[in-house]
Amino acid sequence: MKRQSISSSNIAEVGYDENSRVLEVQFTSGIVYQYFDVPPQIYAEMMQAGSAGQYLNANIKGNFRYARV
Amino acid sequence: MSSDPTFLGTVEDVSGASIRVKLAQGTVSGLSFIEGQSYRVGQVGGFVRIPLGFVNLYGVISQVGASAVPERLVEIEQHGNRWMTIQLVGEGHPVSGFERGISQFPTVGDSAHIVTEFDLRTIYGRPNDRRFVQVGRLASASSIPALVEIDKLVTRHSAVVGTTGSGKSTTVAGILTALSDGGNYPSARILVIDIHGEYGKALADRAAIFRINPDANKGEHPLYIPYWAMTLDELLPVTFGPIENGGDRGAVIDRITELKLAALQQTQRPGVSPDTLSVDTPVPFCIHKLWFDLHCEMRATHYEKQGQPQTRQTWALEKDANGKPVQTGDVLRGIPPRFLPAKDNKDDPEKIRLSRSNLGVGRSVDALGSKLRDPRFDFLLRPGPYLPDENGAVNQDLDTLLAGWLGDTRPITILDLSGSPPMIQSELVGSVLRIVYDALFWARNIPEGGRERPLLIVLEEAHAYLDPKQIASVAVRRIAKEGRKYGIGMMLVSQRPAEIDQTILSQCGTIFALRLSNSIDRNHIKSAASDNLEGLFAMLPVLRTGEAVIVGEAVNLPVRTLIDRPSTRRRPDSTDPKVVVSGSEAQGYESPGGWNQRRDPADYAEAVELWRRQNPRSNRVHTDMHPKTDMPEVKGGEE
Repeated sequence: MKRQSISSSNIAEVGYDENSRVLEVQFTSGIVYQYFDVPPQIYAEMMQAGSAGQYLNANIKGNFRYARV
Repeated sequence: MSSDPTFLGTVEDVSGASIRVKLAQGTVSGLSFIEGQSYRVGQVGGFVRIPLGFVNLYGVISQVGASAVPERLVEIEQHGNRWMTIQLVGEGHPVSGFERGISQFPTVGDSAHIVTEFDLRTIYGRPNDRRFVQVGRLASASSIPALVEIDKLVTRHSAVVGTTGSGKSTTVAGILTALSDGGNYPSARILVIDIHGEYGKALADRAAIFRINPDANKGEHPLYIPYWAMTLDELLPVTFGPIENGGDRGAVIDRITELKLAALQQTQRPGVSPDTLSVDTPVPFCIHKLWFDLHCEMRATHYEKQGQPQTRQTWALEKDANGKPVQTGDVLRGIPPRFLPAKDNKDDPEKIRLSRSNLGVGRSVDALGSKLRDPRFDFLLRPGPYLPDENGAVNQDLDTLLAGWLGDTRPITILDLSGSPPMIQSELVGSVLRIVYDALFWARNIPEGGRERPLLIVLEEAHAYLDPKQIASVAVRRIAKEGRKYGIGMMLVSQRPAEIDQTILSQCGTIFALRLSNSIDRNHIKSAASDNLEGLFAMLPVLRTGEAVIVGEAVNLPVRTLIDRPSTRRRPDSTDPKVVVSGSEAQGYESPGGWNQRRDPADYAEAVELWRRQNPRSNRVHTDMHPKTDMPEVKGGEE
């Protein structure tokens, strides 16, 4: 999956696959996580948000299951 | 003399390689400046130079202060704490450079000097020499690289020891990254025995990974260890269990040899003839057939007919209503036939007797049967293309196996044993090492052998299977003693060196000692090290994370080194989980878990699924069909 780097204090890169609706997040520590069944609009909102780390914490954490890759 | 800022003091006592130096009155302990560089005077682990004519002797400071005062002077020297004990290690010649070993000793009155960066460069400075690999930088002078001689590192064996969390795995990953650099060493050959599955991620693009539950999407290969390539001593513990009785053992040996002979007559295998065949010859045979025959011999019941011997014809099989046997058994699936129970009633003319076999291996055969049916043993007893049919014919022979383990196009091969039953881990490691050793030993004169293309075997978590009583230590001891001649070297990695066989540890020519707090472990290492450097090892408990004392043959001088940390991507998967993560509710956190964040809804059904599947990788994880080749390095602070 292609990830693009973003400007955030916690998150280094974000990638999204529309077919599988998987959101891939690489934190600044270098560890990569995947969030499952994430709708495209959530991904779009995250990329628009002022702070991606805050958006992730507020809207994605707790709502979507994740796994470490 | 005292105008020379590097002057420390004078030699007052020489006993062998250990000398005592009395600091000169004018020498200030603390910081000293020489040619714009700062040096700490009288640091344990620091170096000292003693010029003797054209030659410079070099030594390491092992003690400073009161305890370094010679015994007889303790009473006289009221302020007798200005002494140092120094262990001599080598000498520098004006032409040939630095060499280990001492050809002449200093004498009373010779002067001792601080080793400056310029001196260190003459000792360590071998830039761009491919015989050396950089593992880090000197802790005392960070501009000087710590170089390790690859020849000695590989063939004279090495050990990396340190408490959990001291940076062991990172050190190993760093060394392996440096050694597997395709530009410098296109034919590097490294085999990693990884029992926790730590290195797969860090070395993904440079390593062929063999795993019991392979992830095909990532290009991993299935790991098979064909049972028929094992010797009898390796095979018995993982199949039958120990067979103590000499007669029974002999019978099993005969059966295996017969099966191998029969298989050999079916398929010729160059190099082995019926005359040279022994039970240990690596020739395929069908262990399922061995089990089936032995099982029937031990557990069959027989109809008794006057004076007739017990044969297959007298089997008392359990039959259904139509008179057909309920279960005749299946050799390759490990299913036994069902026999009727024995009966001997006075009024019933039909007598069924238990087997009269004189073998006593019933329980061992049952143990083998249950292993044949256990899917966890499939990598061993049902090894894919290496599984012999009833006649001992296999699709692929050992050459494919060896080509995979030793001859992959990538420099590193990782054998990930993380999915194997822990009870037999030592036996598995032992067999793998013995197979590899035998192959390279006999191939020593051809290009595939270890003399032409040496092999480095990395034994991760060595204490788990190298206890003196365990079977793997037999194979490792052999490599430790003989491997050097045939180009097979090993690197032991352990957090509990005290649990490793002392014979093995003492054969390790180079030791990378990271922080080691347990005193038993420290003493074990101290007695195994080739250099006589009590003082250096005394500082093992206070080393920083990622800092190592390297002693032995692969380094010119014992050095205290800050090991280079590999990039984030190349770190092994053993970093400790964070209990409390940094971040805040407003800005987000550095990772999704941790005690200080609100909880995620739990689904233990998935946890159970993964447990049952014996694979930590969630099924939902999305992978690209093409394995990633070389991702760009992840830089810190990337925007």
